[in-house]
Amino acid sequence: MMSCKEVAEKANAMVDGEVSAWEAMQLKVHLAMCKGCGRFVDQIRTTDELTAAAALDDMMSEADDGRINAILAELNQARHQGG
Amino acid sequence: MRTDFPDEGQLVASLVAGDRKAFEMLYRRLNAPMVRMCMGLIRNRATAEEVVQDTWVAVLRSIGGFEGRSSLSGWIFAILVNKARTRAQRDGRTISFDGDGDDDSLSAAFDGRGRWKNMPDLWDEMTAERIIAGRSVMEHVNAAIDALPAAQRSVLILRSQQGMEATEVARVLEISEGNVRVLLHRARLAVRKALDALA
Ligand SMILES: [Zn+2]
Repeated sequence: MMSCKEVAEKANAMVDGEVSAWEAMQLKVHLAMCKGCGRFVDQIRTTDELTAAAALDDMMSEADDGRINAILAELNQARHQGG
Repeated sequence: MRTDFPDEGQLVASLVAGDRKAFEMLYRRLNAPMVRMCMGLIRNRATAEEVVQDTWVAVLRSIGGFEGRSSLSGWIFAILVNKARTRAQRDGRTISFDGDGDDDSLSAAFDGRGRWKNMPDLWDEMTAERIIAGRSVMEHVNAAIDALPAAQRSVLILRSQQGMEATEVARVLEISEGNVRVLLHRARLAVRKALDALA
């Protein structure tokens, strides 16, 4: 049987669906009996969800006309120089 | 946010045609993660922003040559990495994505038989909207990402935030897929640890 340490090491791969069928079964058996590992896997899942959500948070705050104008001006300049 | 654009072909066509609205949309989606990733590579905010701006100019100049062999964001991030490398070289540094950071933050969590020394906490109130110590959980997450070594940070941004497959992340950063997995594992554990300190 897998130890908690081994389950924790596999937790990321499991959340990403990157474990073999055999590993998935061993994990399932362990998780059915171990509350600590169940919580840990939930934590990893939450971490991944919050990481994805944090990008969305970033996106909402980003609306920078000044920079967009600067990029487009630089682009025009580069085109005129024909480089 | 798992991106990829619903109609990438349409977006690319609009960009080629010089449609400002299309560019604004792309910029809004990618600029912040590009700066966040570049900061890890360049370590100076002003320079990193400059490199990202150069990247955007290069993207718009060469968008006509985009062939869709990778996703649009994969292509853009690859240009960013190249620009950052060139810039670092000019400043006498090199950028490497190969295994940075030491062992993961879990090694001390287990006893000699591989069992939890302390039961992991139940994160029942860990939601994005929650405010802890004056900052939203998302701000805490972003701070934790900013504290990661460059390679881990880059992998987390590309894989977990941009939703790229491990293969594509490997291509963008020019490292092996195995390395992508190791770095992602470490990065997630580090962010988990930061969140756990709030739980
Ligand atoms: Zn366990």
